Amino acid sequence: MGIALERWIEAVRSGRPGGVGAEAWSVYAVERRRLSIGTRDGATGNAHTPLRVSESLAARYVVAWEDGKISRGSLERRQIADDPDAALERARDAAYVDPDAARVSGPARFPDVELHDDRVVGLIDGDLDLVGRRLARVRETLAANDFGTWSGSIAAAESRSRLVTSIGLDVEDRATSAGWHVSFDGEWGDGFSARSLDDEPAFELRLNRAAEIVRLLGQPQPAMPPGVHPVVVHPHVVERLFMATLLQSLEGSSVAHGDGFFKLDEFGSDRPALRDDLSLTLDPTKPLRNGSYRFTAEGVPAGRCELVSNGCLRTPILDLKYANRLGLDPTPVPYGMDTLDLGASESVSESNAYAMAEGGALILSVLGVHTLDPASGDFSLSAPQALILGSGGPQGRIRTTISGNIFAVLRDKTLHLVRYPNEPTPGLLFPCHLNPT
Amino acid sequence: MAGSVIGELEGLGSLGREMGRRARQDGLMLIWRAQVREVRHVLVRDGRPEDTSHTSSSGHGVHVFTDEGRTALASRDDFAPETAIDLLRRAANAARRSAALGSRSSALPQLDPVVESAIPASAEAFDRLDLSLLSARLAEIEREVAGKVAGVSLRVSFLADLDGWRIMRSDGTDVTFVMPRCVLRLGATSTGRDGTHGVGVAISGPDPGLPWDDAEVAVFLRRAIRAAQLARDLPDAPAHPAGSFPLVIDYALAKGLAHEAFGHAAEADGFRSSILAADGRFRSGERVGPSHVSIVDEPVAGDHAWQPFSANGIRRERAVVVDHGRLRDGLSDPWSASEGGVRLTGSARAGSFRAPPLPRMSNIRIEVDDPLAAPGSFDDYGPAEVRDLLVSAGILKRHPRVVFLSGYSGGQVNTATGDFVFNCKAIYELSGDGVRLHKPAIFSGSMFGALGAIREAFGPLVLDALGTCGKWGQSVPSSGGSHYFLFLEPDPLVRIGGKD
Repeated sequence: MGIALERWIEAVRSGRPGGVGAEAWSVYAVERRRLSIGTRDGATGNAHTPLRVSESLAARYVVAWEDGKISRGSLERRQIADDPDAALERARDAAYVDPDAARVSGPARFPDVELHDDRVVGLIDGDLDLVGRRLARVRETLAANDFGTWSGSIAAAESRSRLVTSIGLDVEDRATSAGWHVSFDGEWGDGFSARSLDDEPAFELRLNRAAEIVRLLGQPQPAMPPGVHPVVVHPHVVERLFMATLLQSLEGSSVAHGDGFFKLDEFGSDRPALRDDLSLTLDPTKPLRNGSYRFTAEGVPAGRCELVSNGCLRTPILDLKYANRLGLDPTPVPYGMDTLDLGASESVSESNAYAMAEGGALILSVLGVHTLDPASGDFSLSAPQALILGSGGPQGRIRTTISGNIFAVLRDKTLHLVRYPNEPTPGLLFPCHLNPT
Repeated sequence: MAGSVIGELEGLGSLGREMGRRARQDGLMLIWRAQVREVRHVLVRDGRPEDTSHTSSSGHGVHVFTDEGRTALASRDDFAPETAIDLLRRAANAARRSAALGSRSSALPQLDPVVESAIPASAEAFDRLDLSLLSARLAEIEREVAGKVAGVSLRVSFLADLDGWRIMRSDGTDVTFVMPRCVLRLGATSTGRDGTHGVGVAISGPDPGLPWDDAEVAVFLRRAIRAAQLARDLPDAPAHPAGSFPLVIDYALAKGLAHEAFGHAAEADGFRSSILAADGRFRSGERVGPSHVSIVDEPVAGDHAWQPFSANGIRRERAVVVDHGRLRDGLSDPWSASEGGVRLTGSARAGSFRAPPLPRMSNIRIEVDDPLAAPGSFDDYGPAEVRDLLVSAGILKRHPRVVFLSGYSGGQVNTATGDFVFNCKAIYELSGDGVRLHKPAIFSGSMFGALGAIREAFGPLVLDALGTCGKWGQSVPSSGGSHYFLFLEPDPLVRIGGKD
């Protein structure tokens, strides 16, 4: 059975708050139930990390009024179910003039995308055996490596969504999501999240790699002198620092207002904005990824979308409003890093990258990414978890700061993409300014 | 007439009492958290509204503890009595089943019941905020800034957030508090020969009339114009060399230092891995800084991060984290205080009714004994005036070049290692030759090195540096400050990033 939006829909169709009716509207609702448990410093399920179960229903709406104003906002469960008329009046009170935002989607062909895994539903329904087994494996790994403590979490959720518009679109979906994260000794950790659980071998691989890295972080090494050195940036850092900044710069609002790194006239140009073999492609139709979906909250069908190819900017990431404003077609939007593919004409394996970067460092985490100014692309960050790269690969810990410019790195002729097993995002190998402390 | 948030909370008493009665009947300790929140937001760009919204979110969290000390938290986004009772049953089942996952059993804390409420007078004004008038007012403010600084892309926004909680426990506790928070914000971005830079500035207050308060708007405009000028100048400014330098930081950066470097490490739920604890217990009494420096956390009335009670229904107390150079209080809740060897300070806050409360900061500040005078208000001080302060204090004789880090743009800490990092909005090199602007860079290092480096302070305390703290994925407002400016001697453990 679908989410009951009929009371809200009826209110929008028939209501005339302030004497003004709706000309067009859309409403996107998501009903979700979720289970999670945390561990903090070895204590699982205590007052700070309890076993949690939660239920929610929320919706986002757009109403384009007859007088040209629009209202955009969100609804909570009680407004959807019990009090839609008052919610509509409130929406009208917040109406404003924004012709670009007045568009809603009509019926379309939506691709079939695998989004649901019954095993995740079993977990939410109380089959906690798998959670118990994984917690036990983490505790065994902790003991085997003689670590002092660990922290982490496991979560699972199931959601139903429904999108209805005034011009005949009415589409529904069901999806699951599951994830875990583990860190040892407060130093470093790894995890996985997707619309399905990872299998046991993949879980073991990640857990053991995290333990190996933390073991190496426990072995301080003399650092190299300050200066430019080869670094391999781990995929976790690539996602948080490079991909996040790149996506922010491609966002339609930032391009339309001219306050991001990329300017509107660069899109569609043959002049590369990044190195001329780099590409960035979004594909939310990949099965069971964290960022997989069939349709966006506005009704744009999922599909493969080239954002950057041959270093050239193809399109900003455009929701309906900014597509209207820029006179371009709306695009799918990224809901997770695992449906984005950063590619180059060549990439190197993890072990080759370590050999190529001998004498440099593997950067495993950085502090302060959220403090950067994405418009400039400049970064100057502390990397307290870094490993020096010796003849046999990562060897022991150094602490350093790293600095440079994200877009300069992505234009660098000597940049290499580094493929890591089970990681959708590559690592990056490039010369970087290091200031070891 | 009571405001809608307040009226809603007042109507929840019978449901909360019934939940408590049923919990007692089942041999459970219950902490029931009901939250009603209304957020109004307007963003203006180029003289017109770019986004306007009025959203509400509400619901309750049922946090149960069995007599064996097992716990679970169930939540739902409505207050329907039938589903609430079912939620209690499911939370109790989950708590009992959590033993199979190796969950830790904790002794049930003995707490005194509290029946109190704290609802600031400004809370009722939120319902009268007219978003159309607000849009027009923000457009006026944007025009005023644009008229003073050309060639800069501006966005002006106002957030009025009324966050109401009612905490009821099965021991009879019934605490209601409503936190009014308003933030007037400007973002300025400019592109020059050497790239694009953005600078933000904000003021906060508890009253939704903030954009019409002449005195507050005058302060805002002064800061906004300065931020827009900085955004215009930064793209062509050089990067500052990396290394350790004599530093001046303003009160917003000092708040960042207190919050990131010491505050998080003093949160008692993390003592098993905090550098300020040994074997899970706070290192109370140990010297961690010079004897003229203290760090204090407490809720301040009218402040952005004011919260008078914990999310467990306990009155929040002042905590002196560092008392004249020595560790004294941790930030604790009933499940971490005795285990961590600190007194209970009622410091738990929750990001929403769905989240388990965690010990966290409210308004945290660095206090220095015998600060030097800095006449006038903080906003009277640009980099040239700061340089004059250093000259008058003889600091530029001691250090011919001093690096002034201005404005706070966020930070992060690793409480296990004591590594902290935060970023500024601009760097000025102050010397006998004058003032030179550089691009911002990260300020990072060891928390002990940074605290130990503080030597002089200038001016009275200013505590309105605002931010958002994202500990363990839960966002709550944070704030704090210090004296107008602090001077830090160069220390090899405290560095500015950048280029050689």
